[in-house]
Amino acid sequence: MPTLVQDLKARLGIFESDADRVYGLLAEFSDPGALLHAAEAVREDGYQHFDTHSPFPIHGMDEAMGLGNATGVGVLAFFGGVTGCVGAYLLQWWTAAVDYPLNISGKPFFAVEPSVPIMFELTILFAAFGAVAGMLALNGLPRPYNPLFYSERFKGATDDRFFLHIAASDDQFDVEESAALLQRIGAQHIELVKDDGTMDA
Amino acid sequence: MADAFNRSSFFTWLVDPAQSTRDAAERAYRFAGDRRAWVVPLALGIALLAISALGLWQSPDDFFFAYLTGWSFLLTTSLGGLFFLVFNHLTRAHWSVVVHRINEGLVWAFPLLFLLGLPLLFGMHDLYHWTHAELYDPNSPQYDEVLAGKRAYLNVEFWSVRMVGYFAVWTLISYRLYSFSLRQDVDPDPSLQQKMRNTSAWGLPLLAVTTAFASYDVLMSTDPHWFSTIFGIYFFAGGILSAVATITLLTLILQHNGGLLRGIVTPEHYHDLGKYLFGFVVFWAYIAFSQYVLYWYGGIPEETVWFQHRLRGGWGWHSASLVLFHFLVPFLLLLPQATKRAAPVLGVLAVWLIGMHWFDLHWVVLPVLRDSAGFHWLDFTCWLGLTGIFAGALVYRLSRHPLVPQNHPSLSESLHFENL
Repeated sequence: MPTLVQDLKARLGIFESDADRVYGLLAEFSDPGALLHAAEAVREDGYQHFDTHSPFPIHGMDEAMGLGNATGVGVLAFFGGVTGCVGAYLLQWWTAAVDYPLNISGKPFFAVEPSVPIMFELTILFAAFGAVAGMLALNGLPRPYNPLFYSERFKGATDDRFFLHIAASDDQFDVEESAALLQRIGAQHIELVKDDGTMDA
Repeated sequence: MADAFNRSSFFTWLVDPAQSTRDAAERAYRFAGDRRAWVVPLALGIALLAISALGLWQSPDDFFFAYLTGWSFLLTTSLGGLFFLVFNHLTRAHWSVVVHRINEGLVWAFPLLFLLGLPLLFGMHDLYHWTHAELYDPNSPQYDEVLAGKRAYLNVEFWSVRMVGYFAVWTLISYRLYSFSLRQDVDPDPSLQQKMRNTSAWGLPLLAVTTAFASYDVLMSTDPHWFSTIFGIYFFAGGILSAVATITLLTLILQHNGGLLRGIVTPEHYHDLGKYLFGFVVFWAYIAFSQYVLYWYGGIPEETVWFQHRLRGGWGWHSASLVLFHFLVPFLLLLPQATKRAAPVLGVLAVWLIGMHWFDLHWVVLPVLRDSAGFHWLDFTCWLGLTGIFAGALVYRLSRHPLVPQNHPSLSESLHFENL
């Protein structure tokens, strides 16, 4: 059974390898359409730990893979923004009215009005931090190593090739059965990826 | 003749410059409602204005200020729509093509608004302090040196000439954009697209300058000692927000009454309209605050007096309501993706923002008249009466033509537009 953390990561498309050091199956498809249908078929077959790789975004892939609407980054950006706004308010108040009060042309030591630009800027800044850091964290990045990189063919994923990867961490994963499924749905080439190399399946 | 573009007769021209091309419309783009769709708002509007006329007899001050608020509400909304149309043409936006006709319907408003504005001429003395002759007589105890200095600009003759000029420019730009687009419905001539873009290109700077000066003349000069260089942008920001809200609301109404535009305007388009609403909510707040904070920093009495007035005598509640309900609440509601794509939520927000735009103008105009805050019944009857007539004319226009520019080269792209 996957742990909660593994499950959460899997939902985001980050799969860990199993204890037997098999990382999963990597199947190549001929074109974006075939990959889209393959993703649908794999999902309908009950797999949850799988991912697709293509040189460009494929329209409708989110629905085909059953990813749903990823709101995680939005939520993190929102709380980043709230943090920035409140933080700027406190910063303004503490520096201007507590730590180093200066009388400037009779204005109050602390007032909301001149603080708004700072609150605005820090809201934006921290919302951006939240969005970027959240995007990286939720994608499991930076991740310099991935067993899929052992596959020579996989380099084509940034050029002209389309891949579907079923992770060994999926409860339903079985080298033979999963490979048979991939074969059935039109995979052109299937590789078994291990943590230390690949071989044809 | 429905299969060609023909100019309409003079009286109809005020409401719609072209004869009906309804029969040339493809079925899916045809207006589905009947005569009631425009007769009812028009009749309600006339009735409310008739009731307001009783108020004119009872209290002319209240009437004229309420009328100015309602009229400015329609003027800013139409100008906002014209800006929206112009920059959609200039950026060759594809997504918005399906709502272009609704936007164009909103934009052909200036001849009617000009007529509806004429009653204000009888209230110049009440509305505009600078029209008082004794201010300029050095021997009078009312002599006002500051206003005497502004007299070369602020005098009724020049003011009237300027207003005619503004309306001529707005009518010209909107006539070209509207009539080229209607022509395109029956005649798919590719050069029309270029003509609309050209008009938008020279129209935009003209529009910007006239809008800014109109804001000074119509609203800022109700308090003639006060000045704010950002006032034109403030006027524009509220107007374009109201315009996008109006386009959204009209689209939703057309779609849900009579089944029109179903499958044509999709959640993808609503999502984009929602983004614009969100953007202009923020823009309005940004501009409103910019105006405020500079005067707060300066602390010069002749500049702060305008805000002083709007923070005292209960007007402070109105100011706080603006921050809360014109900015914070719609900001938070429009922030998630889901609310921008959900038609009912967007519909409620559109009505809300249109109402808040009027409330904003009420806050600009009425403190000039009244020291203590609040509403007079005339504020509502004038606003809703004028809006009824305006809406009746708008729906009438929409009912006479295809509801989308059916020969627009980017229509197909717009129909299949997707955000995600």
